[in-house]
Amino acid sequence: MFQIAKEHKGFGKQILLLAKNELIKKYKGAVIGPLWSVVKPLFTLFVYWFAFEIGLKSAGNVQVIFPELGKAGGTYEYSRFLFMLIGFIPWFFINESIVEGAKSIRLNRQFVNKVSFPVSTIMTYTSVARLYVHIFLTVLMYLYVTFIGGKMKLPGMEEAVSGGIAPSIYNVQILFYMPLMFIFFLVLSWSTAPMSAFSRDFENMIISVMSGIFWLSGIIYDSYLLAGKNPPADWLRKLMLFNPINFFANGYRNCFLYNRWFWEYKTELIIFLAEFVIIILLGIFNYNRLRKRLPDVL
Amino acid sequence: MSEAIISFNNVSKEYTLYKSDRERFRALFLKPRNPKINKALNGVTFEVNRGESIGIIGDNGAGKSTILKMITGVAFPSEGEVKVNGKVAALLELTAGFSTEMTGRENIYLKGYILGLKDSYIHEIEERIIDFAQLGDYIDQPVRTYSSGMKMRLGFAINVNIDPDILVVDEALSVGDASFKRKCKDKINEIIDGGTTVLYVSHNPESVIEICDRALYLRKGVLMFDGDVHEAFDMYTKVKEEEKAKKAAAKKKK
Repeated sequence: MFQIAKEHKGFGKQILLLAKNELIKKYKGAVIGPLWSVVKPLFTLFVYWFAFEIGLKSAGNVQVIFPELGKAGGTYEYSRFLFMLIGFIPWFFINESIVEGAKSIRLNRQFVNKVSFPVSTIMTYTSVARLYVHIFLTVLMYLYVTFIGGKMKLPGMEEAVSGGIAPSIYNVQILFYMPLMFIFFLVLSWSTAPMSAFSRDFENMIISVMSGIFWLSGIIYDSYLLAGKNPPADWLRKLMLFNPINFFANGYRNCFLYNRWFWEYKTELIIFLAEFVIIILLGIFNYNRLRKRLPDVL
Repeated sequence: MSEAIISFNNVSKEYTLYKSDRERFRALFLKPRNPKINKALNGVTFEVNRGESIGIIGDNGAGKSTILKMITGVAFPSEGEVKVNGKVAALLELTAGFSTEMTGRENIYLKGYILGLKDSYIHEIEERIIDFAQLGDYIDQPVRTYSSGMKMRLGFAINVNIDPDILVVDEALSVGDASFKRKCKDKINEIIDGGTTVLYVSHNPESVIEICDRALYLRKGVLMFDGDVHEAFDMYTKVKEEEKAKKAAAKKKK
């Protein structure tokens, strides 16, 4: 931790500058430039909208029963696309963070084996570049939720309502979830980036795993899995809580859809925080262990 | 007794050579099984005092660049301790280490921050650097648009204008056309005359003797000699001749 903190000291302005250049580098030569970072996710969303609103219409709305309330709390029903949209926004960031984060040191090797550079800031500035995009997408998503919204039927309602969701105090939780998400996946890359730089196999392993993780996470379905006729076994539902991607997908829905505070479901929060501590310790351990070996292998 | 600006204390550097990518992957988690180790440096100890000029001589693979890399903070020793007290300007790979999307000017600042310089100080030397590099309007263009000569000039200009405490020079350095080369030589000499500590790597005895009083002679990672530059070269030639004689003898036996 001390080494990483020391490397960041006084480098803040450079991190922002390098982050800006990271975006330029990614989209240079493209006609619409950085707009690509928005177009790509929008297209993905369109594809899923088409699949679930047109093709798989029988999948129906998403029904959610909150574990801390149990069946007695009633079933909340949301339009699938609205539900999905809010889950996708953190997912885009998480997916890119894990995959690109792991590659970051290898792709910036000129800073490792040619000059003396605070290597841990490489992960930070590439991450900040993604955060810019994420903030922009979150704003777009908020506008959509507020002005267009979708169908929902909450317990106690006779009929489903439709339309935009008025801003609420729960929205401010984004100031908790977004920075936490940024830090969590940055810290994760303290482990994955040096390891991927060391062994290309490790990098490929991460990329392969990530291509499947989407379907194991509650992005287009509800990860609490309590609603419906045949909910899965208890241990399986508990296992879902160990996936940090679910924590953030549900967290963003807490802010914009569920009107629920982050501390309401304590089990989920505690499991996440415990994982966070482990990831921090692993990150510090792996970075310090591999930092001095990196210039020799890159 | 003047203070040591660079000190190597029993420094060794090992490079692990992995037999396959599988071994490499395994080494992430476990200690490698009977790994092949290449010892680039073996128990090297020396000190350099402020203001001294030192030549480093030896054949390819003797460990010269490993020592320079450790002084510039790019590589780290496997054993022992390296201490460097001061700003190091490295005239080694001048075109490397730029952020290619940033402008030349922004790269000056980036480099400055890496060296731990303050904003105000970088601002002060900025014009000097731009002047020296002769980049004209290109200074505000991204570095990726530069020719390799321009990159080199910028790299050189930054390194020599930060008022380094230690200057690391590789003689094999090429910095473009003849007139700029002369300018570089003059600047290097100016820095040396200014009392900066210099580490000079070269195969060419004359240029080392011209600049340095003391030399380190390295052979296969071992420091063979540390002392007067003339004696160092005498030994270097002697060892080389012996080697040649041995080789010839071995050939005869066959």
